[in-house]
Amino acid sequence: MPNPNPQPAHGSPNRGGATLNEEPELTKTGTTTVALAASDGAVVMADRRASAGGRFVTSKDTRKIEQVHPAGAVALSGAVGEIQAYTRRLAAQADQYEVRRGDPPTMHAFATFAGNLLRSGQFRMVRPLLAGVDADGSHVYGMDGAGGVTEVPYDAKGSGTQFALGVLEREYRPDLTVADATPAAARAVESAIERDTASGNGVTVARISTDGVTIDAHDDPAELYEGAPSAEGTDGVNSSEETDGANPSEEVA
Amino acid sequence: MQGDQQAYDRGTSIFSPDGRLYQVEYAREAVERGSPSVGVRTAEGVVLAARRRVRSSLMDPASVEKLHQVDDHLGVASAGNAADARKLVAFARETAQRDRLTYDESMGVETLTKEVADHVQEYTQTGGARPFGTALLVGGVTGAGIDGSGDGRPVLYETDPSGTPSAWDAAAVGRDSGVIREFLEAEYTAGLDLDSGVDLALEALAAPDEATFAPADVAVATIRVEESAGYRDLPAEERRAALDSLGLLGDDGQQAS
Repeated sequence: MPNPNPQPAHGSPNRGGATLNEEPELTKTGTTTVALAASDGAVVMADRRASAGGRFVTSKDTRKIEQVHPAGAVALSGAVGEIQAYTRRLAAQADQYEVRRGDPPTMHAFATFAGNLLRSGQFRMVRPLLAGVDADGSHVYGMDGAGGVTEVPYDAKGSGTQFALGVLEREYRPDLTVADATPAAARAVESAIERDTASGNGVTVARISTDGVTIDAHDDPAELYEGAPSAEGTDGVNSSEETDGANPSEEVA
Repeated sequence: MQGDQQAYDRGTSIFSPDGRLYQVEYAREAVERGSPSVGVRTAEGVVLAARRRVRSSLMDPASVEKLHQVDDHLGVASAGNAADARKLVAFARETAQRDRLTYDESMGVETLTKEVADHVQEYTQTGGARPFGTALLVGGVTGAGIDGSGDGRPVLYETDPSGTPSAWDAAAVGRDSGVIREFLEAEYTAGLDLDSGVDLALEALAAPDEATFAPADVAVATIRVEESAGYRDLPAEERRAALDSLGLLGDDGQQAS
């Protein structure tokens, strides 16, 4: 069960003038990330907007998803510098584990390490969503700032959490394949983009299988669900998202 | 003043002109003087067994530690300097628990052995240090999962005083290890069940001098692959029954070796 579980906030470096505990941690980071475990893999998706305090767009092409494991990717919201450092640590640890032990870590082992790394106190402003595939199947782990690691079938993080989760509640089914879960994720992130000022500028999507991870960028999330039936047989939310015009589908895997 | 040859004996970190580390070789001698331990890999798990040297009828045989549980699915059999072995076992136990904290899974035999071996190696290259006078047989289940529910496989490793790890189907360390290894090479077959592995280990311990044992003269432990089983010391009555069925049971009061 996804559990947004708002917690008391500590100070946000991105919000000058904001007082402590002004708002719950749930919506503090500017970003929307979602992840779904599918029957044949996992899907991770995030918007591409970076902002200062959710009010000024500092980047329209930010990649918030990275491959950190041969069959695993992490989507992050939070402070950009900490996201980059955290991602590098995860990727290095997975490499080192595989070199030393012959196989990459199971997703459970990797999620445990990722949670411990959060617990270390070095990364106060990252909210990871980890997804991957191992011998036991596909897994999604949501993490909180205190290093809590919860395995869930689907989850969302960031300032657009409530909008995205609302869509995922309707779209998610246990028997979804990656091909089905991708449109569901796109509808969820798009819903957040529509109403959350800190999320926008298209999406990055990671599709994970036992063969590995492919990551693509799309200026319009609708590219990922057009023609796909939604859980209720509709086309989902109506997109009015503006695109940058360039790089309609950028292969970055 | 003694001859130049002697100087290469002194520091562990000094090679002799022909490329040998005499202190490490002397440490191997210390292992060869210790009572033997054997390990046998079977289809159902790993068997560790050892001869105990009980010096007096006043001594509690159980206090002669030759086999050591390291984690639920990891065990160590030692030969050589017993005090050195205890330090390595403590290191192995801490390492296994640290791995659990880091990854929330049971540490693999290969990974643990290599961490222990790297630790041993440091004492062959550090000035002022003395190598460990102990060889270990590390047996267990790799891939046991956090609660023993994993799809594990039995693995047996050896480490020596140089810090070199090696994997075996059946292995011996300690006194007459060469004779015991020849016995195991002749008698070992793949796919044994665990009870046959216990029998083979006890026969191997008796092989050098055709000894017979009281139950207190041997220690036997098994580490089973089977779900939620893990490490288990065989109690005296089971050791007695196994020795009896093999015709290796000697007088209770008398030391056979």
